[in-house]
Amino acid sequence: MKIALFSDIHANLPALEAFFEDVERREVDALYCLGDLVGYNIWPNEVVEEIRKREIPTITGNYDFGIGKSSDDCGCAYKTEEEKANGTISIQLTNELITAQNRAYLRTLPAHIKLEFQLNDAKLNLLLVHGSPRRVNEYLFEDRAEKSMVRILNDADADVLCFGHTHKPYHRIFEVTESGTPQFKHAINLGSIGKPKDSDNRGSYVILNLDENSSVLNKDSIAVEFVKFEYDIEKAAKAVEDSILPNSYADNLRNGY
Amino acid sequence: MEHTNTTYYSKEHIWITVENEIGTVGITAYAQSELGEIVYVDLPEVGDSFQQDEVFGSVEALKTVSDLFMPVSGEVIAINETLVSHPEQVNEKPFEEGWVIKIQITNLNELSNLLRQDEYQNLTN
Repeated sequence: MKIALFSDIHANLPALEAFFEDVERREVDALYCLGDLVGYNIWPNEVVEEIRKREIPTITGNYDFGIGKSSDDCGCAYKTEEEKANGTISIQLTNELITAQNRAYLRTLPAHIKLEFQLNDAKLNLLLVHGSPRRVNEYLFEDRAEKSMVRILNDADADVLCFGHTHKPYHRIFEVTESGTPQFKHAINLGSIGKPKDSDNRGSYVILNLDENSSVLNKDSIAVEFVKFEYDIEKAAKAVEDSILPNSYADNLRNGY
Repeated sequence: MEHTNTTYYSKEHIWITVENEIGTVGITAYAQSELGEIVYVDLPEVGDSFQQDEVFGSVEALKTVSDLFMPVSGEVIAINETLVSHPEQVNEKPFEEGWVIKIQITNLNELSNLLRQDEYQNLTN
């Protein structure tokens, strides 16, 4: 079973179209979208409609949640006054652009998707969230202490936790011992389709490969492939510059941060 | 030194109010403001003992995790169990319902290493 997971498109239609072209060549069995379809660029409706017409199972991101409620708060935890001011422009534009039908779609997206596999003697719980199991807008960065990550996975009964939100891809494996048996739990950050922040301006997504041996008991039985794809960055950056959005968002796209 | 109902502050942004040899310990308003919304508080267990400046727990905010450092040496005699289900109390009332632990202070002399309110305010301004 090849499962493609993607998130954080952020209204970047050229990136989403390039993603579909890329992933369709890879013959995956399933696609899941982990949220944040909108915000930061000019194509929120087109992005929502591309995902809706393909009937891709999708969970809500913090930005989707805010727009779904016609809120002026995207839950983005901006730190500086400049970030806050820029963020206000972005959410106002998104609220103006989004159609009633697409807003209603965003409003009713589920928070989590849980897939339970029974491939062998051990069950395997795959949990898909946007930020963390407990908050749609919590940032699980790669340097989060192992103790904290393991507690978050255990509290959510997740063997493989997949998420986005930070726009920085990574895969960490944690060894935990239960009833004297070592188990391996996975935390997988997908990166971002349309607003990468890992200093690589290409889009990023993940393909999970599961087979009949996939299990928490075998560290290497879950293969995680990080895919990077190129897209028309200039088209997306120019769209930002030709809109009321801050020009810094265009620089972010060109530079991947 | 008189220690009745006196509040001290550490450079690690912890407050401790001392009454007799019992200290109530929490996170300062400045610290919770810098951290942002707190979503989890990792508490020690009653009976645990820590030295001054040792890590006794942590707070997990939306963007970051911050260790909590003991303001003085002591044994934990109570933890604020409410924070398990309502960590936001640390944001909302850091000096009241948002207290984190109560400790039996081992060495009152260590309080002299801490800051008084005006000194802490100077540190954070």
